Amino acid sequence: MSLRKSLLCVLVASLAVPAVAGAQSYPEPKQPGPVEAPPKGPHKTYTVCASSRCDFKSIQKAVNRARAGDTIRVRNGVYREAVKINGRGKRYLKLIGNRSKPAKVKLLARGKMQNGIFVNDADEVTVDGFMAQGYRSNGFFFTNLNGYTMNHLIARQTGVYGLYAFNTIGGKMLNSEAYYVNDGAFYIGQTPPQAKPVRTVVRNVAGWGSPLGFSATNMRYVTITKSRFYNNALGIAPNALDSEKYPPAEDNVIIDNDIFWNNFNFHQGKPPFAVRSEGTAALAPVGTGVLLLGGRGNRIENNRIFGNYLAGVVAVEGILLAKNPDARALRNNVVQNNAFGLGGTDVNGFDLIYDGNGTNNCFSMTGVTSMFPADGSTFAGCGGTNAFSAAVQTQMIGWTGEGALAAWNKHPHPPKAGYAPLEVFGS
Amino acid sequence: MDGTRRSFFTAASSVALLCTIGGEEVSVSDRGDLRRADAAAARVKRPRAAVAQAIPQIEPAPGGTRREVWIQAETARLSVTPARRDEWHNRAVPGGRNAFTAFVYREMTAGFAAYKYGPSIPGPTLTAEVGDVLVVHFRNGDTKLRQAVTMHPHGVKYNPEYDGAYMGEYTRAGGFIAPGETFTYQWECTPDSIGAWPYHDHGPNHTLNTFRGLFGTIVVRPPGDRWPDRMYTLFAHQLPPPVTGLDRTFQCFNGHAYAGSTPILRSRVGEDVEIHAIGMDSNFHTFHIHGHRWRNAAGAFVDNPTFGPNETVTARFTEDNPGRWLYHCHVFTHQDAGMAGWYVVDP
Repeated sequence: MSLRKSLLCVLVASLAVPAVAGAQSYPEPKQPGPVEAPPKGPHKTYTVCASSRCDFKSIQKAVNRARAGDTIRVRNGVYREAVKINGRGKRYLKLIGNRSKPAKVKLLARGKMQNGIFVNDADEVTVDGFMAQGYRSNGFFFTNLNGYTMNHLIARQTGVYGLYAFNTIGGKMLNSEAYYVNDGAFYIGQTPPQAKPVRTVVRNVAGWGSPLGFSATNMRYVTITKSRFYNNALGIAPNALDSEKYPPAEDNVIIDNDIFWNNFNFHQGKPPFAVRSEGTAALAPVGTGVLLLGGRGNRIENNRIFGNYLAGVVAVEGILLAKNPDARALRNNVVQNNAFGLGGTDVNGFDLIYDGNGTNNCFSMTGVTSMFPADGSTFAGCGGTNAFSAAVQTQMIGWTGEGALAAWNKHPHPPKAGYAPLEVFGS
Repeated sequence: MDGTRRSFFTAASSVALLCTIGGEEVSVSDRGDLRRADAAAARVKRPRAAVAQAIPQIEPAPGGTRREVWIQAETARLSVTPARRDEWHNRAVPGGRNAFTAFVYREMTAGFAAYKYGPSIPGPTLTAEVGDVLVVHFRNGDTKLRQAVTMHPHGVKYNPEYDGAYMGEYTRAGGFIAPGETFTYQWECTPDSIGAWPYHDHGPNHTLNTFRGLFGTIVVRPPGDRWPDRMYTLFAHQLPPPVTGLDRTFQCFNGHAYAGSTPILRSRVGEDVEIHAIGMDSNFHTFHIHGHRWRNAAGAFVDNPTFGPNETVTARFTEDNPGRWLYHCHVFTHQDAGMAGWYVVDP
């Protein structure tokens, strides 16, 4: 068995434990279908707070009372509950906390609570102005639905993901922050393929202090823009895995973001979350801005990518797909017009790394100052078959997890107002 | 007196639009009819044949490129006479209110991440050379009217999937883009595509939506051809009360009426100037520029050519006559109701 195959076997085996392991059992995924029509009014508004001035003292009780299209306003306070919004009877529900100061409306886990707010099979629900902390699984979790709005949310120290959409069509993640999450601060996965896609927009979010700032297994039709991903082990990772349906990641656009300082080696020190030694997060090559692990038709352009010790953008065959070999090849991806290295003051280890897998993957070299392989040979082939190198891929596999540190170009970062580099927590 | 004037404008210029919308015939002659038309459009179900799309990427001819654009259709409130004056006749614009809900195409950055420009009529001008493929990523971003729209091009080559036309049960993929959905059109620019052409909505409610502003221009040139120093596109069209809910019909260039509000064209002596005038209503128009003549396609000099619905006339000349000039449609009932503007030539 070749070295590359041996390494691949190890990686695939390490994925045997999915990220949701240990979590509660969720509803079986189902096709979200067309978006439900808005319910006819009149609609009611309910209030929630600790005092008797409000209609309810519990968010869940208000949700249980509300009908489709109603609004629930939650006053400032700490709510120790796990809210479930389930079924079409709750479609178009609006759950409104404190939009300007989301941390004032805090969902704080107690015991084994899994999700701060969990929405299943209810289209176009809005959750706006909340903070979720300490949940075993996720801060805010939407699944099996068509259309959603997550706005002004904060997720901190949640067990798997911060803001999470799975098996959904369309939707918005806006003006939110997630940090100290033990897998992906943000995550969109298993988007059903669509003939006329409804796109999802992620705008003005910050994912930091986690293994992955944004994880995206088999994610489709998502635009990520005007956001910040920093101080993670890996900034953004559109990826292809067998553990979810519909591989690979496809038709995503990552544009006009700041992706920097993703050198958080959570394997060391005492990070403020339970470290996973298996699964996707453990494999993240520490020190990487963007990783395309397989994928088709993804665009990475007009981003500012700097200070990532291993690489700015990495593209590699979907090597973890054992059951879906047809989806492994990179196809029609575009990496162009990114500003690498902050004008030379905060370079990436390599601006670009690519194993040359696939066809019609196009990389603009404008502004690129370093690449792997150094001769740029694998970057040829835009418009046709790219120039695959097994040796390059083998080297890249060696850079998974902490293995990346062997290739780091570690250096001081110039000061950035409001930000401090995070490389090892609590050491 | 106001009431009398309003009645006069309405009676003189308001014509009902007869729209066939998914099998329903709706005569749009007032605001209530407009709501009925939109409701009819929202009821049109997706034709079965309009679902599938399995078309491979169309490659450009040798030397050509795939020119990608992202365009979103959405409603916007626009003012017909933002200057509030008819500068030609030095008077206040007659007719009262002038803001209406338009339906417009807007160019965006990749992935529909951000708008490139503010809302306007017409939509973005798509430019290409022969051999190119125009790759139009289109999104129906409408959240209010709840109806399918499309982009249908003139002048370029396309297969039925990319026709962008609703045709009942014969509708193909690009002919029915429901709210929130995206679709990628691929239009080939062949040698017979050279020229300036319109594109417009051709969905189930295309007549009404085109009147509301869902149109734009495609300009195709021979490979390596020199582009003019100045290029303008002027759509001649009317905005009648049944469409706008306003008190009178405005005769417009590019969504605006009356010199001062219509586009101000500019150039300098010696520059290569190209102006495309395109009809986008049910009338015939003429395009006249004071102080200028140019050759038509047959080689004859003209200064007031006629053009009809979705037809283009192009004025191309080397500028040699400085000054402030009027351009206008020479159909008198159009020019006096706003279809006029300024062309300013600096020495």
